[in-house]
Amino acid sequence: MRVVSAGAVGRRLVPHALPLVILVIVIVFSIAQPAFIKPENLIGIVRQMTLVGIMAVCTTFVIMTGGVDLSVGPVLATAGLVSFFTMQAGMPLPIVLATGLGLGLAIGVVNGAIVAFLQLPPIIVTLATLSMVRGAALILGGPDLHLIRDEPAFTFIGTGTLFGLPFSIILFVAVTLAMIFVQRRTPLGLLVAAIGDNERAAYLSGHKIAATKVTIYGISGLGAALAGIVQSSQVHTAAATYGPFGTELDVIAAVVLGGTSIAGGSGSVARTVVGLLFLGVVSNGMNILNVPIDIQLMAKGAIIVVALGLGELK
Amino acid sequence: MVEPPLIRGIGLGKVYGNLVALDDADLSVRAGEVRALIGSNGAGKSTLIKILTGAVMPTAGSVEMAGEPVRLGSPPEMIRRGVACIYQHSNLAPAMPVLDNIFLGRQPTLGFGFVDRKRQRREARELMQRFAIDLDLDATVAALPTVKQKEVEILKALALDAKVILMDEPTGWLAAADVRKLHASIRALKARGVGIVYISHMLDEIFAVCDTMTVMRDGHVIAEVDVADMDRPRLVALMVGDDLAKSSAGASLAKRIPRGNGIVRLRCRGLGKRGLFRDISFDVNAGEIFCITGLIGSKRTELIRSLFGADRFDSGSVEFDGKPAVFRNPSQAIGASIGFVPEDRHRDGLMLGLSVAENLVMSALGRYRRFGLLDRRKMADASRRSVSSLDIQPPDGDKQVRLLSGGNQQKVLIGKWLSLSPRLIILDEPTVGVDVGAKAEIYAMLRAERDRGAAVLVVSSDIEEVMTIADRVAIMVAGKLTAVHDADKVTRAEIIRDIGESAA
Repeated sequence: MRVVSAGAVGRRLVPHALPLVILVIVIVFSIAQPAFIKPENLIGIVRQMTLVGIMAVCTTFVIMTGGVDLSVGPVLATAGLVSFFTMQAGMPLPIVLATGLGLGLAIGVVNGAIVAFLQLPPIIVTLATLSMVRGAALILGGPDLHLIRDEPAFTFIGTGTLFGLPFSIILFVAVTLAMIFVQRRTPLGLLVAAIGDNERAAYLSGHKIAATKVTIYGISGLGAALAGIVQSSQVHTAAATYGPFGTELDVIAAVVLGGTSIAGGSGSVARTVVGLLFLGVVSNGMNILNVPIDIQLMAKGAIIVVALGLGELK
Repeated sequence: MVEPPLIRGIGLGKVYGNLVALDDADLSVRAGEVRALIGSNGAGKSTLIKILTGAVMPTAGSVEMAGEPVRLGSPPEMIRRGVACIYQHSNLAPAMPVLDNIFLGRQPTLGFGFVDRKRQRREARELMQRFAIDLDLDATVAALPTVKQKEVEILKALALDAKVILMDEPTGWLAAADVRKLHASIRALKARGVGIVYISHMLDEIFAVCDTMTVMRDGHVIAEVDVADMDRPRLVALMVGDDLAKSSAGASLAKRIPRGNGIVRLRCRGLGKRGLFRDISFDVNAGEIFCITGLIGSKRTELIRSLFGADRFDSGSVEFDGKPAVFRNPSQAIGASIGFVPEDRHRDGLMLGLSVAENLVMSALGRYRRFGLLDRRKMADASRRSVSSLDIQPPDGDKQVRLLSGGNQQKVLIGKWLSLSPRLIILDEPTVGVDVGAKAEIYAMLRAERDRGAAVLVVSSDIEEVMTIADRVAIMVAGKLTAVHDADKVTRAEIIRDIGESAA
């Protein structure tokens, strides 16, 4: 009898498992190093995760439909470079932003169109665009770091503060709320869940699967471009090598840790945020405890496997 | 010579929740016997087969091999005892040579993990000689024609020392000439004392190659006879469930309205699709239920999928309300006010992980769009109305569809179209795997649609169902529409004769 009830309790806890684990980790780190729980550090954690965070919430829809977008890293770099060059050409900020974001959107749309109309596997399609966009970025930017000087408005995006909070955090929260809103309140959100659950049934219910895929890959590209602009603004530079190899893995890890199935189906933007918090807390805690970076990488990998394995237990 | 059967299932039963998939079923095969296993989808054939392969644990009954009880629910145990299964879809590794496929996963070795290729080849040759199979052992499986791939599967089974081979619709993808080749292989197996269970919907094949037959319906074995003692019309009557005692009631009570209100809503002329169906012409009127019946495999599903725009025709023309209407995708068909309920609700119909309410609005999202947003309150109101008018149990729109019973899932699937008030609704086997109560409710829904003035086109293999709801009945045999009857002027015997005769 006891075993049965324990199992039932366990099942009820599963949806909340990750938040509970985060809580436990926070407590452990706080005891090990009281500096961890200070407000400045907690804000630091969120600030550190804004780049990956913006990309992860924007690519959640893609993964919910059983797809993946590997091209986020190079799109990030290219959007930063394009913004730099349009600024250098003396364009006003709205045009600079529109160009950078428009480029990310365009690459995403191309990804989505190839996936939807040629019916190629997303992992191959976006691997190809990853390579092509990185090549294009290197042609555009060369090997140099391009310094962004005397652009207070642009610099504000990554380094400014509003209502006492870093603007980049406000931006991340705004993007996240917007994506949660799209998921819960728009036909697109419902359609993404429907395609992820049963694409054939969605098609036979009269939905335009291709148009939806183009849209969600477009959103993913847009998110990567926005992350690129935030990064260039934060570090006052643009370079073709930003968003290095591994960026896409961090993004996917956050989404999947949140509980979105890599095979499509169940998932949500809100859960991606939980996955991000988990990764953010773990890596910040290890930094504070002065865990060397090589050990951190190994620990992170192991944690991802264990967390996903626990998720499968249900 | 009272040798026990090679394999014998006694009183087998399987219950899933409150669905009885199989009840008190017996099945036996003797050495050198080819037994046909016949029944419509959902009759319990696959459950029975899966019990014999060990894939499913029965909730009642036992299995004996050569008179000896075997441990149930263990695939390795059944393989070890010599039970092999060949499925409709290939289970081979297509990129590998025939020889490797035959011994896949249990190659004879020389020690240290090295494969003894010489011994493999020798054993394969011996088997081929003994069973008169001719295969190039070095050919890549993918390069072989489908019938040869079936032979590879047979050889693979024999290499496992199979005594009983279960064949699940092995000719599903074969052309007529290849079917004969496969039957020649089966006769060779039979001559060597292998017992075979042969699942098929094709009458010709059953009479050509089988010795005995077991006919199933609704989870029960309803007949067990020698093929020699059976003729085509009687077999068709058994297959489609011609149970005169219980049938006449519903059939005679129903009001028939052949040709509805006289207005042609769907006009099909000379429809064809290569290799599937040809020269199909019929009209469906507003205000009638038009049933297309026939045996499984007569290509009815392919026909109606094309009507709905999910597939294309090669030839012919379709008019809907007097206007040309060949749809390039389902979205266009729905735009023209056509609804479509597919046969396999799990594969093609429902989003099982989404809620009842979400599934109910899935074909009409446009109606719940306000300023580009989803009007969740309007959705909830509409779903509450549907849930109550369809009597979906439990009456909770937020429940995941996967948690509903088959009958309630089907009501959700049909209900999502009814809220659109379609001018034509097409349903493929609308009551497969649905309990009796839900069946009656679904029939009432279809009649209400008809009386509202919709055209209702139903594909059904269940003669019981056809006789209960049809205003007119069309019969389709092997890709051709062979007859159309007014339902009030045709007897079930005549329909059964039509289905059976033209199949011969």
